[in-house]
Amino acid sequence: MASAVFSDSRWIARGEERTSLSRFLFWLAPWAIVLVVGIYAAGLCLYYGLNQTNMDNRFAFGLWIFLDLGIIALGAGAFFTGFLVYILKRSELRPILNTAVVVGFICYSGAVAILMIDVGQPLRAWFTFWHPNTHSMLTEVTFCISCYLLVLCLEYVPILLRSRQLRKLPSLLVFEHQLHKLVPVLAGVGTLLSFFHQGSLGGLYGVLRGRPFAFRTGFFIWPSTFFLFILSAIASGPSFLMLVAATVEKVTGRRFVPQELFRRLGFISGVLLALYVAGKSIDTLIWLNFTSPSEGFAPWQYYSHKPFGTPILFAEIVLFGLLPAFLLTYRRSAARRGWLLSAAALACAGVLLNRFVLTVQTLAVPTLAFDEFLQYTPSWQEVASFAGVIAYGVIVYSLSYRYLPLFAPSRGENTHVSGD
Amino acid sequence: MFPGIDGFHWTIGHVVFLSLFFAVVATIFATVVSAAWRTARDFRTNQAVELCWKSSFAELPESDRRCRHELAGRVISRTCDNAFDCRRCSKYSQFAVLPARAPVHSLGLNYSGDRFYHRGHTWVKPAEDGTFTVGLDELADRLVGNPDSIEMPEVGTELEVNQTAWCMKKNGNEIQVRAPIDGAVIGVGGSKQGWYLKIRPRLSSSDPLTLRHLLRGPEVQGWLTREMERLQLQLRSPNTPPALADGGVLMPGLMDALPEADWDTVLADTFLGA
Repeated sequence: MASAVFSDSRWIARGEERTSLSRFLFWLAPWAIVLVVGIYAAGLCLYYGLNQTNMDNRFAFGLWIFLDLGIIALGAGAFFTGFLVYILKRSELRPILNTAVVVGFICYSGAVAILMIDVGQPLRAWFTFWHPNTHSMLTEVTFCISCYLLVLCLEYVPILLRSRQLRKLPSLLVFEHQLHKLVPVLAGVGTLLSFFHQGSLGGLYGVLRGRPFAFRTGFFIWPSTFFLFILSAIASGPSFLMLVAATVEKVTGRRFVPQELFRRLGFISGVLLALYVAGKSIDTLIWLNFTSPSEGFAPWQYYSHKPFGTPILFAEIVLFGLLPAFLLTYRRSAARRGWLLSAAALACAGVLLNRFVLTVQTLAVPTLAFDEFLQYTPSWQEVASFAGVIAYGVIVYSLSYRYLPLFAPSRGENTHVSGD
Repeated sequence: MFPGIDGFHWTIGHVVFLSLFFAVVATIFATVVSAAWRTARDFRTNQAVELCWKSSFAELPESDRRCRHELAGRVISRTCDNAFDCRRCSKYSQFAVLPARAPVHSLGLNYSGDRFYHRGHTWVKPAEDGTFTVGLDELADRLVGNPDSIEMPEVGTELEVNQTAWCMKKNGNEIQVRAPIDGAVIGVGGSKQGWYLKIRPRLSSSDPLTLRHLLRGPEVQGWLTREMERLQLQLRSPNTPPALADGGVLMPGLMDALPEADWDTVLADTFLGA
């Protein structure tokens, strides 16, 4: 009935077919409920403080930081696709560019929102900018993520301004055109910022001398995890974009992304994943044989606490690393959509597992003689906030897909005019 | 961190880190300011009309961007990549001399041979005094019927080709009609007069560039045939497969006759709207 009384057809791009408004609202409703519960849980944490969580001084990083690290890695497809299209001029990736920007925007805005809760005192969030510890990797992360979210907002604006009704306003249309022409500058800035914050997120674990499970040596001031985080993020980003696009195609029953583009993204992802697996393997061998023993720890003792046994290490490197890298790059498997998407899912699972291990296992395993193995179960407020961010992402993406030209160009060949 | 905070001392770390940070912030800020400044400049120098038109043109499906020479049957297939501006097309003269081979059908619409047609469904008729009369073509006229209201430009207004010349409202839909030629408005009519504007062209009326971008002769037939096909597809009942034309004639006042159709899309496609 809703669609009979209210129609949003004037906001849907010309020539595009979308489901009825009532069906769309029916799809959004459960996600909206999850989001509202998440906002309530976040409100409790902000009002009453972090005693609403099950984190403590020992287990200071939990589900939220895992979520942050995970979605920031998966959102790397935004900067990396922008880098490939605008800096390396790989124009064949253009059809996926808008969706990459929206996915990146969702990931980073979700991460910043959850960080605001995690900081515990959001009214003092500005302290990090006014009193930064310039020796801290986290300071670099804070600055870079804040700036990069701003960049993503600016990259999202041209997509927003091309909505059917907004583009009728000449001033907005011309501004969109001019801003779009400057997007390569933003893509360059975004690449620089992403390079450093992805790296610093890994680096902040690598410099933890007091946590020998995570501590790594490296190059100059950067531990090896700095480089591994960058590599794993740019390897999983394109895979995540493939999964998002394939999910949209499955839900809508339409094809937006040519199979060749899927293969291209898969190949890029696979090659980078292979490089990451090589780097990770070398890093693990160095850590097992030199770094950890030099700190006075037999490395296998880290894996004596269930469920963090050696199978996790095997899964991280082989099952979620080597296997998808092979499937994504091998011509025969990459030619089959099922294999390609399964491999992309494995690659994404691999980067999530890596972030989980570095966040949770690092803190769980005992370090000092009187330490015990710690177990941490997130409170419902943490889980609800986590789910709220996921629901937020689904809602924003659904709205963007419905009203914005995410998979342009679908009508004209060139959606942006050339010349000044 | 900053001076004024107790215990603050500048170090090389502060300098390097803050320089990098503020360089990035400045770049982002400069990008936005530059885009805003360029936008203002485009409006100041009248480039905005052309940009908006090119942007709208780029949104057209390929089937609506056919070259006039294809419409006339001079070439088999050619997509316009010049925003329908044949004045700047390097290939125009090469194809214009070829014989037109498009079949002629009777579409039941009156498209006079002494007029020139813009793809936004306006016609231009030269007068002996060097001015031009502009009106809505018959397809647009039958579609809209009697508009509920019309907003015309004032006499003396300078119009750019493809700029909105006048606006009409019909059943809650706003219709922006594009100007077919550059020039100054010297007279304003309306639907009852059978013409809408009288324009003194910017270039001389005898200058071949004044009307070169407009369709004429056999090109009009080819264009209209495709426009009718598009209309048939857009106005068919939902879930009805495309059917062969039955030879009927477009009835007048279609917007009143088919109020449930997606007129926002039909009008935007017909009048080359944004």
